[in-house]
Amino acid sequence: MSEQLITTDRQVDVSQCFNPQTGTLQRHIFTDEAIYQQELERIFARGWNFMCHESQIPAAGDFFMNWIGEDEVIVVRDREGKINVLLNSCPHRGNTVCRAEIGNTRSFFCSYHGWNFDLDGRLVGMPGEKEFYRDEIDKSVWGLSPAAKVESYRGFVFATLDPSAPALADYLGWVGRLGIDFLASKGELEFLDGVVKNRIQCNWKLAVDNLYDWYHVKVSHGTALKLGLVSDAAMAPMDQMVLLGELGHGIGGPGISEEKFQDSMRRLQAGEPASVWYDRNVADRMTGNMIEELGPVGKRSFGHPNIFPNLWVALTNQLCLRIPRGPFETELWWFTFQVNDEPEERRKFNLFMANHVFGPAGILEQDDGENWSHSTRGAKGAFGKKLPLNFAMGKGSDRMEADASGQSRIETVVNEHGQRWTYQAWQEWMQADSWETLLANHSQPPQGDC
Amino acid sequence: MSGQRNANEGTEALYAAMLRQYEVEQFLFYEADLLDSRRYDDWLTLLADDIHYWMPLRRTTTAREVDREFTRPGGMALFDNDKEILTMRVQRLSVGRAWAEDPPSRTRRLITNIRVLADADGELQVACNFKLYRTRLNSEEDSWIGRREDTLRRQGDSFVLARRHIFLEQTVILSQNLSNLF
Repeated sequence: MSEQLITTDRQVDVSQCFNPQTGTLQRHIFTDEAIYQQELERIFARGWNFMCHESQIPAAGDFFMNWIGEDEVIVVRDREGKINVLLNSCPHRGNTVCRAEIGNTRSFFCSYHGWNFDLDGRLVGMPGEKEFYRDEIDKSVWGLSPAAKVESYRGFVFATLDPSAPALADYLGWVGRLGIDFLASKGELEFLDGVVKNRIQCNWKLAVDNLYDWYHVKVSHGTALKLGLVSDAAMAPMDQMVLLGELGHGIGGPGISEEKFQDSMRRLQAGEPASVWYDRNVADRMTGNMIEELGPVGKRSFGHPNIFPNLWVALTNQLCLRIPRGPFETELWWFTFQVNDEPEERRKFNLFMANHVFGPAGILEQDDGENWSHSTRGAKGAFGKKLPLNFAMGKGSDRMEADASGQSRIETVVNEHGQRWTYQAWQEWMQADSWETLLANHSQPPQGDC
Repeated sequence: MSGQRNANEGTEALYAAMLRQYEVEQFLFYEADLLDSRRYDDWLTLLADDIHYWMPLRRTTTAREVDREFTRPGGMALFDNDKEILTMRVQRLSVGRAWAEDPPSRTRRLITNIRVLADADGELQVACNFKLYRTRLNSEEDSWIGRREDTLRRQGDSFVLARRHIFLEQTVILSQNLSNLF
């Protein structure tokens, strides 16, 4: 029944909400209920959503609950080893068939009337099939609705509800794939038990645009600087790099020149201790085959990738999903990984950073929530919501340079290219009534001056 | 006569347990008051140098798999702190730009159901229930209820806190942060 899932009877015109010429954004996109409903259909149901890492559900019957917009889905490995993504809603009355968030099971049994579903979603039986249904129910059409497509990229499982979505690798494009490669090319990844989850009273887009924001770091997270947890140079370096991919993917944040990369490698190979802020990043990239895998430009980017719409690949061997819970609420989910065969010292450092820097008690992240919730609040008032926000930093001052390898990038200072790219893509996704329209009408990343 | 002596011994043991219960309660109430009163530097002096301050994650599982409810030590946690990190959390509040606590939130801690589970080698294993209530700015309100397992180490005529394991009654943390101490 997946062809019925993507209905777009609502149509809110958001074409004037973001102005790429001026870099201004209308605030009501953070508060308007009709816009939010359209996001659920045109962004979350349509796009590829991160579900889990394969190592989270290694055995048959292992499941992990996740969301596609406001549709709860069961991500489960079946007896053939295949990962299925199933709507957690019994087709009889709509009740959930799984109430745990993790676990292992032989089947999904509805607690209302006892319809029972196999690990691939197939309806296998119900009480009274013969006596009450007189053997006249066609079980083959009344299973749990599967996502239209489920695919993995390097162990990271994604799902979409739209059967006309492009293949995952094409959707990600080179920038999205590179973002995941930042983590996947480190080696064999093992999921660390426990997804850290908390709720912030903010619109999900404000949480997403923040991941590109290297302007806020020293102000919002000034205490980490003052405590010596992070150095001044590492917190908001002057060397910044931005990579932009089709459909809204991007990578923004620190990035250094080839000369600096070579110099750092030379010093590290000579056994000199790390002395410049990026030495730790370079040392990280010198492990395994990362330099070749990430390419001549990708290896020099230590920025934050966002897989559109809402998956941040953090530098701490972590992923953070920003899950919408209505226009005014967002859930943050942190997934943490260990790299097998990683030196013990680096493993400890990464766990330390994961447990102390991010998450609701994180020394950095605890200061973010109020900024985002108050930015959302600032879009509620009759006066405030009519005022534009300024996303103009660096606009028209930079250059997208092509590399012989095909990896184009902007090398610059702190900027808002990533945020502008995100809102421009958001607008295009929201205006398009189908994948066909979106693929025909979306913007290509800029070339040259931008 | 021996029966009388046993009865006296029983009464003395009860008195000793009551006295110990009183000491433990007064220590925990004092400690909570320091945090409520924002006397964080004084609070730090109550911590043993080798303290382990830990709050695991909690998940909804089926009754059959309820042993997977909490994450285990060494894995992901909301707090997994030694004294150095706890000191950093306290220093954070006084260096400026600790926005989650500036303006400071208002907190009140209720400590209850206190039980001494074990008392050996100068260390008491103490379980209690708590409620941490927080208001912030004009209308924000959060509260967390949970269980604590503390190790109180005898030092002089009082205690220091050598272990605090905190088990919240939440899976998804329903607040925008955990910027307070439990």
